[in-house]
Amino acid sequence: MVKMFKYALDLVFRRKLRTFLTSLGILIAVMLMSFILFGMSDLESLIVGQFTQQFKPNELTVGTTDMISLMGGALSAPSKQDVEREEVILNSEAVENIEGIDGVERVYSMLRISGLEMYLEEDEVAYPRGFPMASNIPGDHSLIGGLLEGDDLTLEGSEVYVSDFVSQFYELSNEEILGKKIVLKSSPPSVFSAPSKSNIDKEYELTVVGVTDSGNNALFISLEKGLDIVVDLGGYADKEEYINSVGYSQLLLSTDIDRTTKIEDFIVEELGFSVMSTETLMAFVSTITGGLTIALILFGSISALVASVGIVNTMIMSIYEQTNEIGIIKAIGASNFQVLVIFLIQSALIGLIGGVLGLSITYALMRLSDPFIVDLLVNEGFDVGNFFNFRFDYAIYIALSSIFVGILAGLYPAYKASKLDPVKALRYE
Amino acid sequence: MSDSYIEINNLTRIYKPSSKVSVEALRGVSINLEKGEMISIVGSSGSGKSTLLNILGGLDWEYEGDIIVDGKDIREYDQNYYRRYIIGTIFQTYYLIPTLNVEENILLPLKFGKKMSSKEAEKRLEQLLDEVDLKDRRKHMPKELSGGQAQRVAIARALIDKPKIVLADEPTGNLDSKTGEQILDLLVKLNEKEGTTMIVVTHDMAIADRTERKITLKDGKNV
Repeated sequence: MVKMFKYALDLVFRRKLRTFLTSLGILIAVMLMSFILFGMSDLESLIVGQFTQQFKPNELTVGTTDMISLMGGALSAPSKQDVEREEVILNSEAVENIEGIDGVERVYSMLRISGLEMYLEEDEVAYPRGFPMASNIPGDHSLIGGLLEGDDLTLEGSEVYVSDFVSQFYELSNEEILGKKIVLKSSPPSVFSAPSKSNIDKEYELTVVGVTDSGNNALFISLEKGLDIVVDLGGYADKEEYINSVGYSQLLLSTDIDRTTKIEDFIVEELGFSVMSTETLMAFVSTITGGLTIALILFGSISALVASVGIVNTMIMSIYEQTNEIGIIKAIGASNFQVLVIFLIQSALIGLIGGVLGLSITYALMRLSDPFIVDLLVNEGFDVGNFFNFRFDYAIYIALSSIFVGILAGLYPAYKASKLDPVKALRYE
Repeated sequence: MSDSYIEINNLTRIYKPSSKVSVEALRGVSINLEKGEMISIVGSSGSGKSTLLNILGGLDWEYEGDIIVDGKDIREYDQNYYRRYIIGTIFQTYYLIPTLNVEENILLPLKFGKKMSSKEAEKRLEQLLDEVDLKDRRKHMPKELSGGQAQRVAIARALIDKPKIVLADEPTGNLDSKTGEQILDLLVKLNEKEGTTMIVVTHDMAIADRTERKITLKDGKNV
């Protein structure tokens, strides 16, 4: 067997270029499959992990617009219904209605405040990312991400939590930033907003009492302070007027887990708000990654098919070229079975070469591109150490599968070769 | 049963390329050979020499009649065993594998059987390289050899597994007369030294005259 293997090896490497070209097909299929195995599963768990970190299965986020479509998932044209729905607002009455639903344990009202620039005291550079978020959600809640520094779990008055990104931005340690002042200044009018008299040169001073692990959610203030700011900024008479005309941005509900789905349905159907739950989010994420995976697997399978046709073609060609040689080895004692094995070894080797080359290239590409992808993801707020997860056990499966594809493609040619009549084969010119 | 080493009795081979055509390549050929004998089979082309050789070589089994080797009908052998250990074949065009060197070509038949240990094979190789005088060419590739040298490699390859019978199909057909002479000298020498029974098929009467016995085939029969 070892001797036959060496002989088959000799046959394969006798035509190096053709062997290489034939194995290219397998190479491409292997690369596609590897990216699916080493990338897609991690992509899904990454996204799911990121969201489950912030959202608990019994929590619902209620808003006025479809948050999934806001996330870039709008796959359909806007409809008038959507516009009508946007007219519902999260005012006091809505909050009361929701609080009254059976199974709702806790409702946190949340305000996203836009139109403000954020500065650290005695620093001229504005922090470039994120809005202040006002709510009475305690500091150890998963949405805030927990306090890295500071022990004040409830915000009062002008107290503020900043995320660790903010302290990094201002080149301070989490400890150093505690007690510093944050100044929110009204933004100069931009192309997106009409200038208004009320929001010119407004400034609000806050004191940092905690540093959160919330990444791009840069700033948390108390709901009261938030309302003060929006009333002042927007020129409203009082908080009531703001809440009843604009409403809260979102509500975070904590519910009885047994009733979460029912509550979600009720709020969507009866009250007309959008609800994001862990469940809908997961479904959304897995639809996207699932679709991508199917597409990639399809491409991978098609290229594996094309590759095996390539192998069949090459092997049949080499039967014609090696007809004489097959005749010779049969005349000197090779059995049909041995000829079959020699040809199968050849096609398996082509598969293996394609597989190993494909895996090596994939490995190199992953190693090279990983830092960039991780950079990109971290910038987008994902908490990742590495994206591609090259697993050697999977690599072995992939290599074995490419050998298998090689053998499968080689079956017919090998059978044909083994059945050659030695007399005719010797005479073949 | 006579005590001949090889008995070919009434060997007939009919080819049927299509249902309407049939060609009688051999029509009742009978030949007896003693052990260690060296004979030649002569005849013009179409006389049935190649057909006889294919059958004797174990490449064609669709014959009628009997071939008894060493008291055993060759049909009783496993076909691969027969080709591997009973028969060694030398071809007119040498049929060396172009990508294997002299040594590897000679050792090729051993890749398909495991009768010989590698130590024995090494010893046998040395012995044969010495016999065919190719010790200094052992690493050469076939394209670097002359016709006579290539045929000597083929002879060594045919003998590596110590076959009982060597079939030589026009072994000098591609060589000039002087080289052909030398090849035949070698075959004669090996026949004596190794005691291998040899059947040389040729149309060259000068070659045929060198063998102990000459059998002439004409129209598929021996005359």
